[in-house]
Amino acid sequence: MSTNFDLNFMFIAMKESIKYTPVTLLLAFVPFGAGIVLGTFIALARLYNVKVLGRLLQIYVVVIKGIPVVLQILMAYYVVIQAFDGVAEKLHWALRSKDIHLIYIALLALLFFGTASISEAMRGALTSVDKGQYEAAYSVGMTRSMTIRRIILPQALPVAVPALCSSLIGLVKGSSLVFMISVTDLMNAALIPANTNYKYLEAYVAAAIVYWVINIIIEKLFYILEKRFSVYRGERAL
Amino acid sequence: MGDFFDPRLVIVYFPGLLSRLHITLLLVFIATLIGITFGTMIAFIRIYKIPLVNQIAAVYISFMRGTPILVQMFIIYYGLPRILVQVGLDINRWDKMFFVIMTYGLNMAAFMAEIIRAAILSVPIGQTEAAYSVGMTRKQAFSRIVAPQALLAAMPSLGINMVGLLQDSSIAFSLGVIDVMGKAKVIGASSYHTLEAYTGAAIIFLALCILLEKGCSIVERRLHGVIIGDGR
Repeated sequence: MSTNFDLNFMFIAMKESIKYTPVTLLLAFVPFGAGIVLGTFIALARLYNVKVLGRLLQIYVVVIKGIPVVLQILMAYYVVIQAFDGVAEKLHWALRSKDIHLIYIALLALLFFGTASISEAMRGALTSVDKGQYEAAYSVGMTRSMTIRRIILPQALPVAVPALCSSLIGLVKGSSLVFMISVTDLMNAALIPANTNYKYLEAYVAAAIVYWVINIIIEKLFYILEKRFSVYRGERAL
Repeated sequence: MGDFFDPRLVIVYFPGLLSRLHITLLLVFIATLIGITFGTMIAFIRIYKIPLVNQIAAVYISFMRGTPILVQMFIIYYGLPRILVQVGLDINRWDKMFFVIMTYGLNMAAFMAEIIRAAILSVPIGQTEAAYSVGMTRKQAFSRIVAPQALLAAMPSLGINMVGLLQDSSIAFSLGVIDVMGKAKVIGASSYHTLEAYTGAAIIFLALCILLEKGCSIVERRLHGVIIGDGR
């Protein structure tokens, strides 16, 4: 191993990782999009203390937030690999676990993780809306769902933006863990050329730069979004 | 692999997993200490806007927060020996634990720096002015008036970050450190009952996480009592 940093090789690795950046973005944005919908429902169910369901969802959030993402990905992988064939055989499906692309397992695990963190972000934002807003909406004759859609969510969303941003960045960073179940994402792609010449440092630096750029762009976009929202609320962004 | 999940095996594997608990705890504890120490230094650099160092600190924080800790760990593992060999220090054969603790400590420092900076800036300037007006020196005003209030403001975020660090520590096994997670992988590889071993690890992490959260909120409440009291 030479002590010099091979800049040329770093660019080769970076080119590879940029080629696979869509995979990383897919792994982050699909769970994020689905997580916003599911997370909002979980937050609402917990906010209104829906019987049994609210309690169950609380347990879900605590359990998912308490178990490291890498464990969730690995457990999802082993559950699918070991259990799927038995279930498929009983149900007479033609699909077998070896035919399932590993990226779906990764997506599933990241969806669980993302939903839990987004639901916490949404819950924090929903509780920040003053109680008087509900009362005012009810007093003018709105139903509960109208109140949520027209009064509460429009006020809660801008508050949730910073927390949602860190959830998305968490998903981008968490998606690097799919290398444990050998899905080729941005990081794994950078490592492939390094496998022949052991220049791992260059490969990891290349991957780090790509991740860094992605996350800086996300941060900037959310910053713009936050400003837009606060204009809508007629307030100055802090 | 006849039966797919045997709950009894989770209990059988449990003592083995617990025997590596000290590694996980050691990692979290030392990394937090490093993080608070370095983080405080970086926070002051950022608050006083010391030229040049301030910009470097900003880039450092952005990098540490914008890249996965997995990548950082490998960069430190492969990169640090190469840098130190230039000054004649050969750390290639050092224990892997050293590199892991360095990574988590440096990562934590970036997050702590932002928390501490925000906490110090959250104390209203009027507090400092009031302290000066009763004749306190700059140092006294900081240590007696600003720092206790900042500490209180930083506590919730500190707790959240420690929980995050605990979770991130589960990645250390990919470098070959045998912590709870690494032990689970070893058990899984030797017995083919990977899922049971990982379930055991998940239970341990979940319990640690809940305990840490509870502990932090108790400390927070105590501190609140000590620093602010009941107004008498």
